[in-house]
This record gives sequence, C-alpha cells and structure tokens, in this order.
Amino acid sequence: MDYKNATGHIYDIQGYAVHDGPGIRTTVYTKGCPLSCLWCHSPESQRHEFEVGYLQIKCLGADVCQDACINACPVGALSRNEPVQALDGSGAIQKAKIDREKCTGCLKCAKACITKALYATGWDTTVDEVYDRVIKDRGFFQNDGGITISGGEAMAQFEFTLNLAKRLKDSGIHICLDTTGFTPEKQFEEILPFIDLFLYDIKHMDSAMHKNLTGVGNELILSNARFLAEHGGALQIRVPVIPKLTDKESNLRSTAEFCASLGDAVKLVQLLPYHKTGRMKYERLGWRYKLTNVEPPEEAFMLKTLEMFQNHGLNAQLY
Amino acid sequence: MANFDFPISDRIQDLRDKRKRINKDLRLNVERNRILTEYYKTHLHEYPILKRAGYLHDWCSTREINIDDDDIFLGDAGPHTRTVHFDIEQTGAMWFRSNFGDTDERFRAAWQVPGSVWVSDEERKYLLEAADFWEENDIGATARGLFPDEFFAGPMGAFAKFLNGSYPGHFNPNYEKVVLTGFGAVRAQAKEKLAEIKAHTDTDNVRKDIFYRAIVKTCDAIITMSKRYAEGVREKAKTATPERAAELLKMADSCDWIMENPARNFWEGCQAILFYQNLLTAEGVHWADSPALIDSYLGPLVENDIATGALTLQEAQDYADAFLLQIGNQIIMFPKPNNDQLIEAHANGKTLYDLQGGGQNIAAGSLITLGGQKRDGTGDYTLATELFLLAYYRMRVAEPSLALRVNKHTPPRIWELGIAVSKRCGGFPQFNNDDVIIPQQLERGVSLEDARRYGVFGCVEPAISGMEWSMASNCGAFGGGIGMLQTLQTVIHGNRDPQSGMERPGDAKKLYEYETFDELKEEFVRLAKAGLDNMARMNHFAAFVFETEWPAPSVSAMTEGCMDSGKDVTWGGAKYNATGTMTNAIGVVADSLYTIKKLCFDDKTLSARELYDALADNWEGKELLRQRILNELSFYGNDNDEVDELATWVTDFWLGYTNTLSGPNHGHVNMGILDLAWVAGGKRTWATPDGRKNGEPLSPSADPRQDVVKNGPLSYVKSVAKLPWIKARCGGAINIRMDANSVRGDEATAKVQELIQSFFDMGGIQFCFTVADTEIMRAAQKNPQDYQDLIVRIAGFSAYFTHLAFDDQENYIAKYEIAV
Repeated sequence: MDYKNATGHIYDIQGYAVHDGPGIRTTVYTKGCPLSCLWCHSPESQRHEFEVGYLQIKCLGADVCQDACINACPVGALSRNEPVQALDGSGAIQKAKIDREKCTGCLKCAKACITKALYATGWDTTVDEVYDRVIKDRGFFQNDGGITISGGEAMAQFEFTLNLAKRLKDSGIHICLDTTGFTPEKQFEEILPFIDLFLYDIKHMDSAMHKNLTGVGNELILSNARFLAEHGGALQIRVPVIPKLTDKESNLRSTAEFCASLGDAVKLVQLLPYHKTGRMKYERLGWRYKLTNVEPPEEAFMLKTLEMFQNHGLNAQLY
Repeated sequence: MANFDFPISDRIQDLRDKRKRINKDLRLNVERNRILTEYYKTHLHEYPILKRAGYLHDWCSTREINIDDDDIFLGDAGPHTRTVHFDIEQTGAMWFRSNFGDTDERFRAAWQVPGSVWVSDEERKYLLEAADFWEENDIGATARGLFPDEFFAGPMGAFAKFLNGSYPGHFNPNYEKVVLTGFGAVRAQAKEKLAEIKAHTDTDNVRKDIFYRAIVKTCDAIITMSKRYAEGVREKAKTATPERAAELLKMADSCDWIMENPARNFWEGCQAILFYQNLLTAEGVHWADSPALIDSYLGPLVENDIATGALTLQEAQDYADAFLLQIGNQIIMFPKPNNDQLIEAHANGKTLYDLQGGGQNIAAGSLITLGGQKRDGTGDYTLATELFLLAYYRMRVAEPSLALRVNKHTPPRIWELGIAVSKRCGGFPQFNNDDVIIPQQLERGVSLEDARRYGVFGCVEPAISGMEWSMASNCGAFGGGIGMLQTLQTVIHGNRDPQSGMERPGDAKKLYEYETFDELKEEFVRLAKAGLDNMARMNHFAAFVFETEWPAPSVSAMTEGCMDSGKDVTWGGAKYNATGTMTNAIGVVADSLYTIKKLCFDDKTLSARELYDALADNWEGKELLRQRILNELSFYGNDNDEVDELATWVTDFWLGYTNTLSGPNHGHVNMGILDLAWVAGGKRTWATPDGRKNGEPLSPSADPRQDVVKNGPLSYVKSVAKLPWIKARCGGAINIRMDANSVRGDEATAKVQELIQSFFDMGGIQFCFTVADTEIMRAAQKNPQDYQDLIVRIAGFSAYFTHLAFDDQENYIAKYEIAV
C-alpha cells in the first residue's frame, strides 16, 4: 500500500495504554486540538506549536549547570529563583525561574537543560519514525491489541494521521483512532478503511453547552458519528462524566439515546468519571487550571449512570 | 466467583487475629535445641545419620504436644504456636556468647521485652552452656576440620570458618509421598532392604545398612508423634463442648492413621503435610522447604469429600484457609539479630518479628507452588487450586510465598483468580512459565515426565518436586563472594576496593589501562571464571561437610532415589542434585558497561581516565558529567538494543558458564537472577559508571534501575525479556508495580494476563506485580496501624509494607510505577 512519509507534531508515545481500546495498546499522541475542554487532562496537547514545559522538581539548581538555561535564553525570560533546600539535603540551591510574559517559545532553554527540567512539549517526527518506534511493541499486541492514534485531535494533522494509519494497516496492525469527531466528514470518509475502531467522544448533547465547555458546538461531531455508523465504522463511544458540567440526568439520558440510535456500529460505551490527575500539567506550562471546584463523581452515581446506559441496550462500562 | 463467595468464618478470623497477636509475643524454640543437645552430648560416637535419627526419635517421643483450644489443624515444631526456630548446631558459640552472654541489663533490653520476644533466664543459662558444647561440635567445627587453608584466607574466610547461613534445605520435599503413601510403607521397604543386606553383607552395603536403620527409626519417630497428637486431642475432648469433642475425636482418629498410612480425606492430607513440615524443621531447621503441587494431590481428596457429602464447599474453604494460616506459622530466625539491633528496634517500637529476613518478614523462606502439569503433559488444576488461591485472597498473608505455574492448559478461571489474588496480595502469586522452565530442566538432564513436576522453592528457584536435593550456595553474590558487580568493580578499580580500601593480591588493570572495550570484556570474563570456579570448589567442600556429619534422614525417607540407592540425600541419594546461587544488579552492570563502551570507546566523548577519576572521587565536583550520563543515555529498561545487548552478553556469559560447572553429588550448579536486599547491597557498593553514587541502591534483581526507565512498561518488560532466561536455571525475578487505576475492572485484568503472556511468549521465566499507589504507601508510612494488610512484592518474596525499614519503603516508592 502506498503511503507518504508525512511529518507530524507529536507529544508522546506510550506503551500499555490500557484504557485506549481493546487489548494492550501503544498510543501515539498528536499535538494540537480544535477543542479546549475545561477538564482537559493533557493541556500540552491543545496547541499545535511546542511550548516550554517546566518540571521544577528536576531542576538541580543553576550552580550545577552554570546557568545553562539562563545563558541560552535570548530574551532574558529565565533567571535564578530564591534559594530553596535541595531534595538530597545537600544545601540551598537556586532553581530556574521562568517569566512566561517574556518567553517567546524558542525552546533554546530546553535544548540547554541537562536534566530536562525545562523541556519542549513534543517533537517533530515522521510516519516512518513513529512506525519504527511502535512496531517494537508488537510482541504485546496478542489477538486484540495494537496502536491507538490519539491527540490532541489526530485528524487535525490529517496527512500524518492518514499515512500513519495506512502504514500500520499494511503491517496488519489493529488501529484505533481516538477522536473528538470535530473534523470535515470528507476526511473521515477517506480514513475509514484504515481504522478498525473509532474511540469517539460525545461530551454534551446540547450544542450551546458543548460550545461553553469545549469551545465548539456539537453539530459536526454528532453528524460525523452518524456518518461513520452508517458507513461501516466501528465506534467505541466515550462519555466524560464531569460533575456540574455534563452529569445532568437529561444530558446523560439523551447521550444514551443518541448512542443507541447509532445501532450496531457502537461496540462499547465507556463512561469516564472526571479525575484530577492532569492538574499538575497545567502548572508545568504556567497555565491556570479552571475546574478548581469540581470533585470526581461518586461511585454510586457512576454505577447508576452505567445501569441507565445498559438499559438502553448498550454494552457499557466504567472507565 | 459466585460459588466461593463465602464469608470468612468466625473461627478462621480468630485464628488470623491470634497470629497477629503472637507476632508481638514471640518465644524461641529452645525445646528443639535442648533435646538435640542432650542427645548429641550423650551419643558422641554414634554414626552421624543414626545420631540424627536418634535425636529425631527423642524429639518426637518427648517434645511437648501443643494443642490449642481453637486448633483446626495441629502441630507446630515448637512448644508454642508460632515459635521461632533456630539451629544451635549451626549458630555456633560466638553468637550466644556475644548476645546471651552480654550484661544482664542489655540481655533483658534485647530478649525480655514483652511485645517483642521473651527468653527466660533459665533458657538463657541453658543455651549458653549448650553453646560451649557446640563450639567444638557444630557444623562450623566440621568445616574447620576438613577445609583447606586457602578457604580461610580468601574473601570467603569468615563464611568458611563457620559455614554461616549455608543452610541445608532450599528444596521441594516429597510431601506428595507423605500424603499418598505414608511412612509405614517406607519403613516396610527399609526393613526388607535390611533383611536383604543381612543375607549378603559386604563392604559396599555396610553404609546402606546404617542408612536403612536410620530410616526405620525416623519412620517410627514421626508415626509416634502423630499418635501422641491423637492421645493429646482425645484428652482435650474430655473437657470440651459436645460439638468440639466430636471434632476432636475425629481428629484423633485421623492422627492415629496418617503419617503411617495414606491420607483418606482433605483434612488428613493437609495435616500430614503439616506434621512432615514440623519434622523437617526439627531435623535441620531446613530453610525454604517448600511444598509444591499440593493442589495436585490434595485435589482428588477434596473433590471426593465434596462428592460424598463429607464436606460442603464452605467447609473445604475453611480448611484451606486454616491450612494456609497453620503452614505459615513456621518462623525461622534469620538472620539472627544482635543485641544492638534488637535494642534499637525496641526503641523504635519494632519487634523481633519486624527484624526477620533483614526487616523484610520472610519468615521461613517457604513457598507453595500451585498448578502445572501432570506427568503426561496435561494440565494439573483441581478444586484445591481454586481453594488455595482463594485462601490467599481471603487471608491476605505474606507468608509462605505463592507461585502459580501457567501453561497452555491453564483454565481462564485460574488466570482470573491468580490476577485477582495478586491485585490484593502484592506479588502473590508469582506466575511461572512452564514453557521456559520445563525445557530448562530437560537441558540439565531431567526426564520430560519429571520436568513436568517441577516446583518452585524459596524465592523463585525451580526444582523437581520430591526428587531433588538442592543446597543453597552462599558463595555467590549474596554471601559476599563472586558477583557480576563485584567483578566489574575490579575491572574498573583494580585490586583495591574503593569503599573499604582493602587491597587484594595480584595484578589487575584499572579502567584507563584498557586499549579496547573487547579487552575490558576479556578481563571481566577472566576474573569471573576464576571467581566462579572457586565458588564451585567451595560448594563441593560445603556439601561434603553435610555428607560427613550432618545427614538428613527425614528428607531421605521420602525423596525419590534414596530408598532405592540406600543413600542419604547428602550422600547423593536423590534422583536429581543441584546447588543454587544467584547473581544480581543486572541494571547497574549493564548500564555501567554501556556508559564505558559508548562514551569512552565508541563516541570517545569522555576519556576513561576522566571517568575513572570521577568514580574514584564518587562524582565529587563532576555533577554535570553525572547528569549527562543519567539524562542522555538510554539505559537498560528502555528497549534500547545497544544497552540490552550488553545486559544479554554479561548475563549469558554468567549463567552459561555457571551451567558448565560441576555441583556436589554430580549435580549442576544453577545460577539465577535475584536480589533480596538491593538497598543494603547498594550501601556496600562504591560509585558506578552509570551515574550511581556510592551507597545508592542497586537495581533490583533483573529489573532496571528505578530512575532510568523512560519509555514505559512495555519497553521495560521487553528489555527484561531479552535476557537469556532459558539459562537461568535458578530462576529470576521481575516485579512491576502498577497503580490501582491501570488494573481496575475485568477488562484490565484481561490485559494484565495478556502482558504476562506476551512476556512469557518472549521467553520470560517469571512475572509478578504489585498494586499499590504511591499515595496509599505514603499514608501507610504515616499511619502504619491502618495499613497492616498492605502487602508489597520485594524480590523473591512479599512483605507487609509497614514492616519494611524506612529506607526500603522509600526505595519501593521510588521504584518505577506504571501510570496510565
């Protein structure tokens, strides 16, 4: 099969991604997303361009590297912070301090940082490079595992995603595409033959609410879901259950009804309770985490919701 | 699991609670050592194996028959439940003199602290006197009487002098024969053999005559003990409630029958195992005697009990629970703590129990193996497999360890149960791969039928159940003898140990004196071969010590081969023989070799002299270089072929060469990959080229270093899978910690199974995982009383997290976690 060695922006490749489709999977995370969900647990996936992340705990102090990042910065955005005690008890150290106002995102500091405390939130890659990396995990895929292409929104880098899918399909690997559904129908039509299973998010059934929560309305998302269902796509629907935002009984019920209306195309519905593990990542980017007053939903509520989905004749599970 | 979803019955819960109480009130098994000492003192010139059997007979006939009011099963090798065993004939006088002979005040602060341990003044006095006798009569004295001088001068000098810690044991005793045949038939066979010899006595069979007489005496001994228990429970029945009396009388009837005859039901089978365990412990305080395949021969018994209505499933589960608690009551004092350690422990609110196994609670090194294959190659999983797996799930105990053999016949339900147990009881079971271990046995000359009946003992070591006598060699990495890391340090630093400053004689190059990396590898191989050859030589002599004065008739009576050949196991009577030893720190060794190769020889971005100097100074003033090494190199555990090839090279050589060495009794020397104390081992190890500082922890067993895994769990597992496991005849450990989120739900269970199967398809030998969130472990550090049940996998065994020393807890938390 012909494929193009297209280039892409990705921010991670992870083995043993057990919640990204059937079996043991390795997931490729592409960078950039047209949505900006309030609960997003990977903020570094949102923008297409690379940012500087800063994992302060890894900084050993400017004495060790002799101000490597500070010297590398062309605009003076980095400086020595107030002294703090080193974790290994060796005394006071001055870690780097980043002024996000001044930072232009040139990433020179990330190149200079020896411990990778300062790091670029992703890298340029090609279909071949990604293929060579993920194929190493093939021994774990057994009968039902494989590769998941996720995001950000993988369809936002359509050339790259399409060609990666073709390349993998050619090797007989099971491919999942994890998508928000927010992309032109034509692209789904083109990629459909190469995707074994779509991991498809339905975040809210009310378009105005959807726009408030994610930045875009849901019309395109719902119509694409119907399109895929009608044209032989297999869907695993993912429903984020976010207290106060998506957990109204009426919304969850109409989500279930919508899923049921897609018929046999829906293989599984995953109910994903809100969790806070992404919070730390906002700090690393110097962003503000917006959902400060939301707590994970109660187990009992999740079980009740699960039962409601199952009562719609759907194969549903938690997580 | 609907069929087995029984509540834990009150009496089982009470037994479990009692055990926890006793952990805080331990007594030493002085009784065993008193009976032994008195027998040996009065039979100085009796032939060694007759002396051993004679002592056993005295022990069985005169020991206190301990029966508790709530006993479901009977027997403990000491006069109290959960007595702490030790063997005075191995301990030597020195330990008693320095600890029991200490000032009264310090003795009391160490050994008379209610809530920790209690040794009475009378016991103290007796043991001190006994130690005087043993000084010139113990196992160390036998060793000193026959070892060549070179042993005492070499690096293993202290070991050679006392043969310390070189316990016999480390094997899978023939519990199957105890249950299915009994000692009556063995005694009859011995008597027949004696009659034959009497008719044709010649030079060759005098020792056989002695052997068979020892066997008759041993059989008499254990049968006597069983009948004494029968009397004891009958006596108890007189004052019991009618319901309990009926139960006790049934037990009495069984005790009159078992040991002499084959077990007739599940209870009798379990009880026969327990009595035999007591006998083995009394004989030689055999460390790590491990009952294998118990589900194979107890299965038909319990299935029959259910079919005939003799037991309900709930009752059968109660028995499995009670059996597990009872067999785990065996505690062997190892290592023996000194007064300073005990006094310090008491000051920190800890007890003797906390100090066992170096603070890691390994009790007796015992391990139960379940599942596997029948001799014809079909799967061997029974109702008992399920009952015992569930017993671990329900009782949540950290001892004995548990192994589950898996193969293409393993039923889905057994996989499901095994993983469910593992999620709850960290690292129990370890999963063992039949597809590697059986071929391994064939390679060392075991027949296919026998190979299918392997068990696992101690931590991870495979052996043929009931047919093999295997002795642990302490001349390997643990004993301070020869190890991969020590050898590498010699290659780098020459003959001077940089941490201790000790110089060894002879010429040895330093890191900056090698012209090529191949030359460095050659030197490594030369040094390693010399060390391993010496280890093999010492093994032969160590085994000869036991052959000369310390035979094991209670083992020989049951072990396949001994009764036919008329030879004790220590004389080579067993069908198969092996000596096992371990190497460790694969991660540190491979990463260090890779650093040297890549930076000093391939890329030439760092001179060997500069690296040598940085190491000599423990990286002082070289932090930038150290960080470069830690951050820029992709080490073992990341599926990087460049470094994994070195890991494979060094392991392949080490295991392969050891496999060619000769072991005692024409057996093999088996090498495995295991470390029990990589934190303590790290403290004794100077800085290494991989960026590790002096004193920092080593990488555990075959696992990568905790802080260098960057590419996630699949890469981790794949790096480990590349090692030549087929050659690791003494087994090996891989232990992954998973967070609770990644194993939640049935689907995740299926994925764990796929992960294990993938690793096994790639040639992995053993796999275990622990589920514990960092958050939970932090909470357990703060409020240990609320987390007494939290079990984590250490290496070849599991431990309660709250019993670990603080250093080990920290290291465990730092260990790589699969976060999804």
